[in-house]
Amino acid sequence: MNEKKDVRILAYESSCDETSTAVIKNGREIESLIVATQIKSHQRFGGVVPEVASRHHIEVISQITKEALAEANTSWDDIDAIAVTYGPGLVGALLIGVSAAKAASMATGIPLIGVDHIMGHIMAAQLKDEIEYPAIALQVSGGHTEIVLLKSSTDFVIIGDTRDDAAGEAYDKIGRVLGVNYPAGKTIDKWAHEGKDTFDFPRAMMEDDDYDFSFSGLKSAFINTCHHADQIHEKLNKYDLAASFQAAVIDVLAHKTIRAIKEYQPKTFIMGGGVAANLGLRERMSAEIAKLPKDKQPKVILPDLKLCGDNAAMIGAAAYNLYNEGKFADLTLNADPSLELPYASSMLN
Amino acid sequence: MRILSVSTATSNLSVALNDNENIIVEKNEVDQRNHSEHLDPMIQEILVNNQLELKDIDRFAVAIGPGSYTGLRIGITTVKMFSSILNKEVVGVSTLKALAKSVSDKATLIIAGLDARNDNYFAGGYIINENGKLENVIADGHYHIDVLLDAIKEYLGKSDFQKVIFVGNGFNKQDKRITDSGFDYSYGTDEQNIVHAGLIGQLALDEKTIDPDKLLPRYLRRTQAEVDWHKKTGKPFGPDSDYVEEV
Ligand SMILES: [Zn+2]
Repeated sequence: MNEKKDVRILAYESSCDETSTAVIKNGREIESLIVATQIKSHQRFGGVVPEVASRHHIEVISQITKEALAEANTSWDDIDAIAVTYGPGLVGALLIGVSAAKAASMATGIPLIGVDHIMGHIMAAQLKDEIEYPAIALQVSGGHTEIVLLKSSTDFVIIGDTRDDAAGEAYDKIGRVLGVNYPAGKTIDKWAHEGKDTFDFPRAMMEDDDYDFSFSGLKSAFINTCHHADQIHEKLNKYDLAASFQAAVIDVLAHKTIRAIKEYQPKTFIMGGGVAANLGLRERMSAEIAKLPKDKQPKVILPDLKLCGDNAAMIGAAAYNLYNEGKFADLTLNADPSLELPYASSMLN
Repeated sequence: MRILSVSTATSNLSVALNDNENIIVEKNEVDQRNHSEHLDPMIQEILVNNQLELKDIDRFAVAIGPGSYTGLRIGITTVKMFSSILNKEVVGVSTLKALAKSVSDKATLIIAGLDARNDNYFAGGYIINENGKLENVIADGHYHIDVLLDAIKEYLGKSDFQKVIFVGNGFNKQDKRITDSGFDYSYGTDEQNIVHAGLIGQLALDEKTIDPDKLLPRYLRRTQAEVDWHKKTGKPFGPDSDYVEEV
């Protein structure tokens, strides 16, 4: 009696260069996940071109909606909510998902949920394991480097943020110097494992007593080192360069995150975002947490590698939590390219 | 046949409900840049006022381009999803043909165009043929004003048309060049210069229906990034589908 009914959410994600749909059961179980990636297209230009991205999104959006339902062996009748990323991201790209989700909601009468993309990235962890609150998330991607405090499954505040480049952005920029195809993260991670930290690049703001980051100094130091070597016709070892760069990034991320964990004593630690797929960072964070006294160790949830990049499954997971709190959107939902999670009040001057 | 039509191609947001040729209601919001926020509520309002639901619509129609790229995609994505989910017919109608539809003078060559900046226009030439239907005689395309004026002169030279009417936007700033071309011309009225969904609905009766998955904007222009890439590498563009893969 009174058995809780399953909740199925059809989710859309189109904030950058992947068009994705998914059906998620009870916020935890992936019944289907379709990801149409445009990487091949943007590789022609060495980075994501917004107008090109938008053009690709609209080519596949209705098709992958049908595919998500079919792969989940379900139909609109069994869908309880339609979720969509409405920001942050590229406005033209976001608008495809938002327009599609709203039209689907109108056509079916199924309620609509707008999801913050960053909340989605963090909730990829929920697809792996149960999150106990409060939790701390390290969210690292091409656009974001943030330490987020999760007070509950829907109440997130940023306690640390990058002052300039995001970590993933720095990877792509130094990737260009090394002649690595966009997106560069995976290759540099691999090279880093073959090399040694011999260059001793700067660890900006590591000892500051806030949780903020800065990666532009590291990026410049890296580029200067390469240019200087080039001028004097010296060959540098690319594996050592990658290892040195990655060590500097990871040192700062790990150092600050561990400090946040010590201060906030979360029950769960989560990593999210494209750079959460970085093996070096995953290993390091797990090792650092293992060094904490046993009773101070949060449970660690590292999302599946394939769920670190942009995907609709994570949006469906986050939407489930909003669904439970009745946080629905209406047909005026719009794309918000600069949407931000709220900042913790202690961070505000 | 009940037709619901939409245009988000320009700064004017337009939605209409037609019963065959007859425009039951058309709503416009001129010069607003929030199509994403307003489109669905506007559709909802029209449906509610006419005691209809989306599933009561037989055919969806949309301005398919040219126009604002982002704007086009909002309207097209919306009707694409409606028709795909509800299994209803959908058609795309040229934005320029819809503009031309506001003119009824059979003796006039109709030039419909949208300002594409730097003296360029998304434009096309239309006439009303003996069946009373619009016929595209200067292909919808992206033209420099001088090229467009040459195409107009060429068409006038080989036909019986003596007069030209310009509808759409941005033509009056070319007044000097147009006058210098030496043909008899006029500009459309404010009403004629905006895209009307009701007229799209009328044109939709004659358009071929299309698989909603294949309903895409007619941009009439590649992106600058692709053009530059092509120039630099000399590589062919290839179909867009080559660049997107499911993983
Ligand atoms: Zn992302």
